[in-house]
Amino acid sequence: MLAIYCKELKSYFNSMLGYILEAFMMLIGGLYFTSIGLQQGYAEFGYILNSTNFTLLIVIPLLTMRAFAEERRNKTEQLLLTSPVSISEILIGKFLSLVTLLSIPILVYAVYPLVLCTGGDFSLLSAYGCVLCYFLMACACAAIGVFVSNLMENQLLAALCTFCLLLFAYLMGSIQRLFAAGDILSLVILTVILLTAAIAIGRSFRSLTVGFAVFCCGLVLLVGLYRFQSSTLIVVFTSLIEALSLFQPFAVFVSGIFSIKAIIYYLSITVLFLFLTGKSIEKRRWN
Amino acid sequence: MVKVQNLTKYYNGHCAIRDISFDVEDGQVYGLLGPNGAGKSTIMNIMTGYISCTTGSVEIDGYDILKQPHQAKERIGYLPEIPPLYMDMTPREYLEFIGKLRSVEKNLRREQIDSIMEQTSITEVRNRIIKTLSKGYRQRIGLAGALVGSPKLIILDEPTVGLDPAQMIEVRNLISSLGRDHTVILSSHILSEVQAVCDRVLIIAEGQLIAMGTPQELADRMQSGKILRVTAKGNGEHILAAIKKIAGLGAYELVEQEGELTTFTVSLPGTRDLRPAVSEALVYAGCPAVAMQTSSASLEEIFLQLVENDSQIMQAEG
Repeated sequence: MLAIYCKELKSYFNSMLGYILEAFMMLIGGLYFTSIGLQQGYAEFGYILNSTNFTLLIVIPLLTMRAFAEERRNKTEQLLLTSPVSISEILIGKFLSLVTLLSIPILVYAVYPLVLCTGGDFSLLSAYGCVLCYFLMACACAAIGVFVSNLMENQLLAALCTFCLLLFAYLMGSIQRLFAAGDILSLVILTVILLTAAIAIGRSFRSLTVGFAVFCCGLVLLVGLYRFQSSTLIVVFTSLIEALSLFQPFAVFVSGIFSIKAIIYYLSITVLFLFLTGKSIEKRRWN
Repeated sequence: MVKVQNLTKYYNGHCAIRDISFDVEDGQVYGLLGPNGAGKSTIMNIMTGYISCTTGSVEIDGYDILKQPHQAKERIGYLPEIPPLYMDMTPREYLEFIGKLRSVEKNLRREQIDSIMEQTSITEVRNRIIKTLSKGYRQRIGLAGALVGSPKLIILDEPTVGLDPAQMIEVRNLISSLGRDHTVILSSHILSEVQAVCDRVLIIAEGQLIAMGTPQELADRMQSGKILRVTAKGNGEHILAAIKKIAGLGAYELVEQEGELTTFTVSLPGTRDLRPAVSEALVYAGCPAVAMQTSSASLEEIFLQLVENDSQIMQAEG
C-alpha cells in the first residue's frame, strides 16, 4: 500500500497538474480570505470556506481522473492486480495519495483562523470544525471521482463525468427549493437522476439491457407515484434530493453548529464510493 | 509447481478456453504454443490472477490463485503481452516500485535490481524516462519487472515481441538461463522460439489443449516422425518398385527426376534405422544411392498438422 501511495503522490508532482491544482486552491482560498476575512472583517471562517466550495468542482475531477482510468488505458492495472497486493490496498493507497494532495491547501487554510484570531473575538473551535468538515467533504468528492475514474478508460471523460456529478450535487440545494413549484418539476428532475443512475448501473454491469431495464422500472414507479400519490412523490424525493446534496451538510457547520450528522454523512459517502470502486474492480475480473 | 485443472473461461457467452488441465514441474521451461486468438493470454491471465476463470482452478506452489491470492502471487513474476509500464518513470524507478510491491527487502532491492538490469541489458538506459525509450527497451524493462523479487514462477506472454534478431537471441538465452533456477512458462506463436527454448510444449488451438510433451515426444507422436531423403542413380519407377519391397517403411514420394538422378522421400516410422535396408535394396536394383539425408519433422510441421487435425475433428463433431 505504501509503495502505491508513494508512487501516486510522486506521479502527481511529476506533472505540472499537481502543482497547478494545489496553487489554484490556495490562490482562491487566499483571495476569499483576504477579501472577506481581512478587508471586510467578517469573522465567520466557515463562510470563507463555503465561498471556496466551487474550487472542488474543478480540482477534484482533474485530480481523480487519472486514478484508475490511466492505469486501465496503459494496462498498468495488470501489474497491480497480479502483484501480491489486495484490491483494498491498491484502492486505499491511491485514495490516501489524493487525500494528502487535498490536505495541503486545506492545511494552509487552517492557518487563516489563527490570523483572524489576532483581530478580536473569534471562535477557533468553530473555525476548525469547519475546516474538518470541509476536509471530509473534499474526501467524499474525491471518493466519487475515484469511482467514476474506475468506470472509464478515458481520463477526460472521467473528469467530465465527475464534474457533472459534483455540479449536480452542488446545485441540489437550489433545485430542492424549486420543488415547491410543483410535482411535475420533481418528476422531471428525478427522471434525470434516474437516467444518470441507469447509465452508471448499465456501465458497471456492461449491459445496455440492465441499464435500460433499471430506467424503465424506475420511470414506471415515478410516473405511478406522480399520477396516484403526488404528495408522496414530493416528500419521498425531497429526502432523496437532500441525500444527494453533497455540499448542503457543510452549510450547517458554516452556521456555527458542529453537526455529527454531517460528519457521518461525509464519512459514509466516502466509504460507500470506495466500497463500490473495489467491487467494480473485482467485478471486472470476473467478467 | 503449477497445477491447472479443468480451466474454462467464457467471455460474454463466448468460450475462450475449454477444460484445460496440465501440470508444470519445477525448474523447466514450458512453452504455450498456438495461433493468435487460441487462448494463450487468457490462460496466463487466469494463472496470474488478473482475471478469474468461469470454472476450474489454478494452484501455484500449492496455493490456489483465487483462495490464497497473496501467497500465490508472491511466487509469480509476470510479463503480459503489452508490458505494463509507467511511462513517466525511469527503468530504475519502475523496478524499485515493483520491488516495493513485492516487499523485497530494502538492502537487497538495489543489488537485485542492478543485477536484473545487467541481465536484461537495460543498465545504460536506467535513468531515462521510459516513454522516450524504444519498443525493444520497453519489452526488456517489462521482462526485468517480471524478474524482480526472484519469483519461483516466471510467466512471459510473447516475451520477444518488438525485439530485433540480436535482442531476441539475447532474451532467449536469458530465458534458458532462468530455467535453471526458476520455472518459466512462455507463450509464443513463433515455433522456432519455442523449439529453441522450451523443455516442454503445450499446443493450444481454439481454446483447447491439443498436445503436450517435449518437442521430441511430439515429433515421435506424429507418423511422419523422421523423413529420409534419398538421391539415387536410375529410373524413378524402377527405384520406387525396389523401395516398396522394404518392410516397415512409411509413405514414399518421388520428389524430382533430373537426368540420371532421382530424388525421393520416405517416412521412417518408429525408432528402427532403415537406412541400410534402403541402401541395400537400391544396390540390388542397380540404382546406387548417391546421397541420403534424414530429417526430423519440425515443430512447425507438427504444430500445423495437430491444429489441422483438431479443426477437422471439431468440424466433424459440429
